[in-house]
Amino acid sequence: MLMIHPLVLAKLEVGEHLYWQVGGLKLHGQVFLTSWLVIGALLLVSFLATRNIQRVPSGLQNFMEYALEFIRDIAKNQIGEKEYRPWVPFVGTLFLFIFVSNWSGALIPWKLIHLPSGELAAPTNDINTTVALALLTSLAYFYAGFSKRGLGYFAKYIEPTPILLPINILEDFTKPLSLSFRLFGNILADELVVAVLVLLVPLFVPLPVMVLGLFTSAIQALIFATLAAAYIGEAIEGHGGEEHG
Amino acid sequence: MTNFVWLLAVEAADAVEEGGGLFDFDATLPLMAVQFVLLAVALNALFYKPLGKVLDERDGYISSNRVDAAERLAKAEKIAKQYQQELAETRRQAQTVIAEAQEEAQKIAAQTVAAAQQEAQTQREQVQRELDEQKNQAMVTLEQQVDGLSQQILDKLLGALAV
Repeated sequence: MLMIHPLVLAKLEVGEHLYWQVGGLKLHGQVFLTSWLVIGALLLVSFLATRNIQRVPSGLQNFMEYALEFIRDIAKNQIGEKEYRPWVPFVGTLFLFIFVSNWSGALIPWKLIHLPSGELAAPTNDINTTVALALLTSLAYFYAGFSKRGLGYFAKYIEPTPILLPINILEDFTKPLSLSFRLFGNILADELVVAVLVLLVPLFVPLPVMVLGLFTSAIQALIFATLAAAYIGEAIEGHGGEEHG
Repeated sequence: MTNFVWLLAVEAADAVEEGGGLFDFDATLPLMAVQFVLLAVALNALFYKPLGKVLDERDGYISSNRVDAAERLAKAEKIAKQYQQELAETRRQAQTVIAEAQEEAQKIAAQTVAAAQQEAQTQREQVQRELDEQKNQAMVTLEQQVDGLSQQILDKLLGALAV
């Protein structure tokens, strides 16, 4: 294998991490570095957009209002007009964080920065990040269900019939699993495809795939946020749907 | 080309041997969750709340303005309609006034004509009467004269006889 190494123009690294040791805990440093950048960008843009709020918006405020309306629409469509407002921050942060993470992975030339081990990439191509987000979503919809319907929330497990009890319980495990793996798989696959294409044909050929990657990244953020909102809405409303609207 | 793909697998395998790998769960997970919650809280204070308030306020402002405008439009339409009604009313009144005036004028004309005709009639009748009277007088005078003449004739005849 060592013989091939000199031929490699761009090196592919999968599953290598920059490990940080913090008080006996192992951390993936590269994930935190990029996520801090993403968080910093989000906070900075929010701060700039809300620094001088006008009734007639312009520039950044206008753009961020558009983003907020987009997020509100996601939450409103899935959760319903009456209940969506408290969930806007959660769903919105999911969308913004995933979207900016994905696009940062696709647009920022991280490879120019060399790390001792591993490489910088979108935070969402690390399984820890996506599982963290998916588990938070699970917690969120459990909280939503319990706070809205109390112990009556458990009734949804035997609806419409008690025969479906195992499937309904299974659903609570498949939901975070599918959420996290969908995001993780899509982003990682996209970055791998681009990397392999760059490895094979360094010029121009990877460009369409990169554009497709941008599209996929945006869609994945939208899907994650929409599904999270849908789960929350379902938990609030219940399977029976006794109070629609 | 297969070499590169092969290399990919090798790299992954190497990483797994070092204790890394794709599915390497560690403290990144909970810390990322905490970090995400903090981000949500920060964005809520910095972004969703202030801008959401602005959006709601603007919605309220626009809807109240729209209601206001609709009210004013309705009022303007009502006034325009009222004016139209008044205009129609005035027009109708003018028509009736004109019609009345015409009718009166016709009546006056007819009266005048009738009066003139009457006067003419009376004058004619009077003249006729005067004529008749003069004729009668003339007849009476004539009769007297006839009487006188016939007496004279008689006298003359009888006188000759008596002589």
